[in-house]
Amino acid sequence: MKNPNHHAIHITKDKCIGCVHCMSACPTRAIRISGGKARIIDQLCIDCAECLRVCPHEAVHSHTTSFAALEAFDYKVAIPSTVIYGQFGPTVVPNEILSALRRVGFDEVYDLSSICELNCAATEEYLNEHPSPRPYITSTCPVVVRIIQRRYPSLCAQILPIEPPREIAAKILRTILPKALGIPAEKIGIIHITPCPAKIVSINSPATLAKSYLDGAMSISDIFPQILKALRKSEEDALMRHLFPETLFSGIGMGWPLSGGETRGLKSHRAVAVSGIRDTMRVLDEVEGGLLQDIDLLECTVCPDGCVGGPLGVENRFLAKSRVLELVSAAGEHAVVDQKDVSRLYHRNFLSFDHPVTPVESRPLDADPGEAIRKAQRREAIFAGLPMKDCGICGAPDCRTLADDIVRGYARLEDCPFLGKEKR
Amino acid sequence: MSAADDVFRQDFPVKGGDFAKAGTAACRIKELLKDLGLDSWTVRRAAIVAYEAEMNVVMYAWEARIDLSVTPGSVRLVVDDRGPGIPDIELAMTEGYTTATAEMRELGFGAGMGLPNIRKNADDFRIESEVGRGTRLDITIRTNGRRTP
Repeated sequence: MKNPNHHAIHITKDKCIGCVHCMSACPTRAIRISGGKARIIDQLCIDCAECLRVCPHEAVHSHTTSFAALEAFDYKVAIPSTVIYGQFGPTVVPNEILSALRRVGFDEVYDLSSICELNCAATEEYLNEHPSPRPYITSTCPVVVRIIQRRYPSLCAQILPIEPPREIAAKILRTILPKALGIPAEKIGIIHITPCPAKIVSINSPATLAKSYLDGAMSISDIFPQILKALRKSEEDALMRHLFPETLFSGIGMGWPLSGGETRGLKSHRAVAVSGIRDTMRVLDEVEGGLLQDIDLLECTVCPDGCVGGPLGVENRFLAKSRVLELVSAAGEHAVVDQKDVSRLYHRNFLSFDHPVTPVESRPLDADPGEAIRKAQRREAIFAGLPMKDCGICGAPDCRTLADDIVRGYARLEDCPFLGKEKR
Repeated sequence: MSAADDVFRQDFPVKGGDFAKAGTAACRIKELLKDLGLDSWTVRRAAIVAYEAEMNVVMYAWEARIDLSVTPGSVRLVVDDRGPGIPDIELAMTEGYTTATAEMRELGFGAGMGLPNIRKNADDFRIESEVGRGTRLDITIRTNGRRTP
């Protein structure tokens, strides 16, 4: 079932000690501490994983696809994010990594860099055909889509309606493989391998598709030890992959997981890339305020430096980025995808969203406009009486949010630890 | 409860020249309107108006107060600034006309769309200005007004 409030991020109650790290880090103020434990408000959470990054007790975890879940399929296909190529040392080439994934248990593994290039070419074509509105916003980062649905609903129509590479790749494979292999479609499992906890959300409750073409998203950090083991066992394989590379990588697509990588291949459009959740929100605020209309395409990724800064990666993002950049320059600037093929797929709507992104119901103070106004008045009055220390001891991230919770009936003024004392 | 209670009022100070904080008031106004349950197009139009008005103050005036008042049917913004004033309002309302310095334009500001853009997104728009004293904008956006920004 499609549930817009399905989440990848969960709190393990046993490990949570009720400190305020996650609550302070949450950009949408979706976390409260109650009964000594952190709790996520489903309606507000955008799965950005900022809480997962800061939790000192490993109490925040993400639900990604486990290896055991693959047993449900007769034929297992992996399409790893190109972030994976940056997780190993400078001597390990992408072909070795793909080959190691096959030995780990996947029947086939496909590189995504050429599909990234394809997506970029399709984006170029879409921008040529649609001179307004401006800027369009890319949809690769599922958190950006979710935050627009919830906080910037009027920008839904500015999301560029071309599916991201992972979905396009899975759709192509799902079209071709059942016939080529003689295996029923439902017995073929297509798994994305990713540093991102939010991909599983875009698979389980997609914002733009009736159903995702992917069957799961596996964390790079989960599968990393097995890949490493497979790499160590196979020096001969490594030699072979170095001498006879079998996959043609796209230099244009390879850099996709680095901030700016999605738009680097654009030939005739002005693009701006933003990364990090807070900067993304700041820029989306500006777009909603009517700014940046001279920009054609806005690439937003909520992880620092792009997907390469995803919390489920292994290598630190600076080294990973440096390695990916080496691979980008090694692969060169020439196109590996034929523009005519892209154009054909594009005009068959093969690359398009099934349906546009729609806003997710917001959370007004009250359904009745008059009552909402009265509650807002009360909220201001309450806020004016709070100490403005934003200490978090009441269980809300800051005084403003406590005032908001009080008028909504979720908290009480007595929850503030300072008010009682001052009176005494 | 009488109808007079159905007004939410709040004012936001804006400082001229404070580019680092530019947009803060507009963002707060936008958040408020969302909390009040206004539809997203009304919020967007109000956000555009508030943003442009705030930028005008930051770029040209010394200081201002944005008075927001919201009723179930309308959003009203009164922007009262202390500043140089506008000698020729008609000229200032022309799209593309700007007095922004090259430095401001380099920063991406002052394309000369501010006032015309405010008028475009408002259902009711009044402007008064006195040279050497300041400018006052009075903008109303009705929740059942124009549908697209």
